[in-house]
Amino acid sequence: MGPFWSWLQETPIIYTIGKTDYLYDAFSVLHYFSVFIMVGTTGLVDLRVLGVGAQRQSVAQVARQFSPWIWTAVVVGIVSGFVEFAPGASSFAPDPIFEIKMVVIVLAIVCGLMVLRGAPRWSELPEIPVVAKLLAVISMLLWLGAILAALDFSAFSGLG
Amino acid sequence: MHEALFGFCRWLETTPWGAPTRETMWFYPFVQLIHFTGLSLWLSTNVALDLRLIGVGRWRRTAAELARDLFVLNWIGFCTVVTGGFLLFSATATTYIQNGAFLVKLGMLVPTALVFHVVVQSKSRTWGRTAELPGVARLAGLIELLLWLSVVTAAVEIPSY
Repeated sequence: MGPFWSWLQETPIIYTIGKTDYLYDAFSVLHYFSVFIMVGTTGLVDLRVLGVGAQRQSVAQVARQFSPWIWTAVVVGIVSGFVEFAPGASSFAPDPIFEIKMVVIVLAIVCGLMVLRGAPRWSELPEIPVVAKLLAVISMLLWLGAILAALDFSAFSGLG
Repeated sequence: MHEALFGFCRWLETTPWGAPTRETMWFYPFVQLIHFTGLSLWLSTNVALDLRLIGVGRWRRTAAELARDLFVLNWIGFCTVVTGGFLLFSATATTYIQNGAFLVKLGMLVPTALVFHVVVQSKSRTWGRTAELPGVARLAGLIELLLWLSVVTAAVEIPSY
């Protein structure tokens, strides 16, 4: 993958974005903002599955209401994240914390998808199944883990 | 006034919550996590109402209903952001108050956006009774959305100043 990342870094458009502070910062703002929206709206659905908040609507209604925004934010988050990653690709890619972050994000998105897909079925049952609640908890924990992995973690090695 | 503020910031850095946030290696990321988790809840519930007011997307709830649905979690999110933010500030308060981007963010943009949000949230009860919203409601939603975007922009610029 090494040569590929170097090639990506040298692509004229990526190189320009990396060297132009205001452009790079604009993508950072987009990334932060979309991640907040995504984690927040996913959390709202997860919390509703757990019986917290928005009690006037069913789980299915809450999921349907927020799913377009979750997916919009996922797409904006991935695109802006890629633009942030690309100018420093060869230093990001081999970093184990970065790799952990990517794996956790994929798992979190899959988990979120399962919650959104399950919601209409769960709503028809007399009670929300325990498996569904477990999935909602895992979804939230995965996002917390993703945020934690995204922070500056060199300090964290001190934990051993 | 300036001297008093600086003294207060110096004191914050020595408090039992400020000092460990700065000095304990593992504590800092968790404080950031509190701030970001709160932000996710706070901003997503704010933006949901803003988008509903603007009229983007297919919402099944009126703005009044949505404001009421999200009210409690919205303010739980706010308390969480403030807790995390206060701890982060306490850790290196004297550095923060000399940072231009931070001063713009906390001195100007956050108070403006916050006041605006409170007005928008309470006004939504009257604006949002019907599915079709008055022009002023749509404009207010758009302005609040832009205000929060400017808050995030100022925050992103903090390390560069």
